[in-house]
Amino acid sequence: MSCIAVDDLHKYYGSVKAIDGISLDVDYGKVFGFLGPNGAGKTTAIKIFTTLIPLTSGKVSILGYDLLKQPAMIKQRIGVVQQKPSFESNLTVENSLDLYGKLWNISNGERSKRVEDLLKMFGLGDIRNVKNEELSIGQRRRVQVAREFMHDMDLLFLDEPTVGLDPSARRTLLDYIRKRVRGGLTVFFTTHIMEEAEYLCDEIAIINKGKIVALDTPSGLKEKFGGVKIVEIKLKEPFNGIERIVNALGIAGNVELQDSMSIKISAKNAEQILISVVESLGKNNAQVASISVNPPTLEEIFLAMVDDSNGSSS
Amino acid sequence: MDPVLRLVNRNLTATIDKPFLIWQIMFPLIYIFVAGYAYTSIIESVNLGTVNIDYPAFLASGMIGFNVMNSSLIAGTIIWTDRRNGMFEQILVGPFTRAQYIVSNILTITMIGLLSAGIIFAASVPTVFANAPISFTTLPYMIVSIILGSIFFGSLAIVASIRLRSTERFQITINTMFLFFAFVSTTFYPSQGVPAALGGAFHVNPLTYVVDIIRFGLFASFDPFIVLEAIALAATSAIMFFIATFMLAKLNI
Repeated sequence: MSCIAVDDLHKYYGSVKAIDGISLDVDYGKVFGFLGPNGAGKTTAIKIFTTLIPLTSGKVSILGYDLLKQPAMIKQRIGVVQQKPSFESNLTVENSLDLYGKLWNISNGERSKRVEDLLKMFGLGDIRNVKNEELSIGQRRRVQVAREFMHDMDLLFLDEPTVGLDPSARRTLLDYIRKRVRGGLTVFFTTHIMEEAEYLCDEIAIINKGKIVALDTPSGLKEKFGGVKIVEIKLKEPFNGIERIVNALGIAGNVELQDSMSIKISAKNAEQILISVVESLGKNNAQVASISVNPPTLEEIFLAMVDDSNGSSS
Repeated sequence: MDPVLRLVNRNLTATIDKPFLIWQIMFPLIYIFVAGYAYTSIIESVNLGTVNIDYPAFLASGMIGFNVMNSSLIAGTIIWTDRRNGMFEQILVGPFTRAQYIVSNILTITMIGLLSAGIIFAASVPTVFANAPISFTTLPYMIVSIILGSIFFGSLAIVASIRLRSTERFQITINTMFLFFAFVSTTFYPSQGVPAALGGAFHVNPLTYVVDIIRFGLFASFDPFIVLEAIALAATSAIMFFIATFMLAKLNI
């Protein structure tokens, strides 16, 4: 049985379609990445899964419980870090963690221990006595994320948890999530940062306009591109005829002229294209400084998938 | 611990702005002991139907109702603070139902209303009430009035918290309500002798009902009109509670 099982989920706000028939399964003990541009439906999906808003149609099961029939059972066993800030402005960092533990009915001794552990883990020791209203956005975000680990859970929803965090805090958080996943936690994770998704996720769904346009492991997504490679050619000196040469070759692929000294091509027959381009450049006395051929990054796949789905739906 | 009690504990710990609340309790005490005695030279005593009391005792009993209104309005803004700070949604994705959140807010409001009224009462008993004809047999009416008043004003603040989005509009609305309820009522002065229109306005104000019933509870100052006021207070509190609960239950996220 899946930790999250979604079948043909739809959500409408009036006549606006926010989620358009998504289906997915998330296994226990895995990190599932949910990627998409702004307004794609990521937060709406999380709000549905965490029982905050009702679905329009479809079937959702979380931790084996039916979302519509057993929301209380689900809420007992999930943790949620929302995209928007949430904090108790009058409380200090330490008291925020402690009070959150009380809300979850954690015993006194265990609460004190967890507060100390989390203050240390998230580097909040120096600001433990500072009120939330006096914290920077990044500090407040760290408290918000740390606070969620005050209680026990089987499934954690993280809606862009690293927004506002500096690289060090971001890495600390990702490593901590990895550690908790090794202990059996399942994580449903949304982000805009592809390196994070690649670093953390076992499986990734790319969502656009309420539809899942790709769903696979990070390496599977790369393989699905079927040998698409990125060719990057840099010239020694500026050459204004570069665009003319590329157009004359009629390249079947994505061509990006970065300036008059460099060109980036994404295509399946990258090696052949490379030879043609270099030959043409040589004929025109343009000297090549460097050539690189690389597999696409997850970010490039993401952008291509979103572009494709935008194109096919328009 | 019961989920509702955990939420009440959280409301009392985190949401209520304590310095402001302390000031809300200190302000009436200063008013009673300064204005109460200062106005004695102008208003010697006030007739409450079956009993006469001096002005400091009249004002102190009015300030109990005033404080119930004031503290309940503040406590009723919990939902405003929670929505602004993202805690409303955070609580609802936790191990709580919307009904538990609503009940916890109403309980918090009532507790704060009773507590603030108790502080004014306790401070007044050995001083301004020392020579007043306190009636212990009718005191339960005072408590009922405080509870109903807390529910009315707390529910009103909840409705304002839900309806109004911008901070400016919310503050203006709460302050305007405060001015009407406080000064177009029998809190500071009796309704007898005021122009008819103003007297009429006094009696469409739930704070007048709260204060009049508190005075009846304190001094057994029976007036047949009190019965009507009690019915009106119970009805308006029930209606406002229903509206607030309904709106909270339907509040979009």
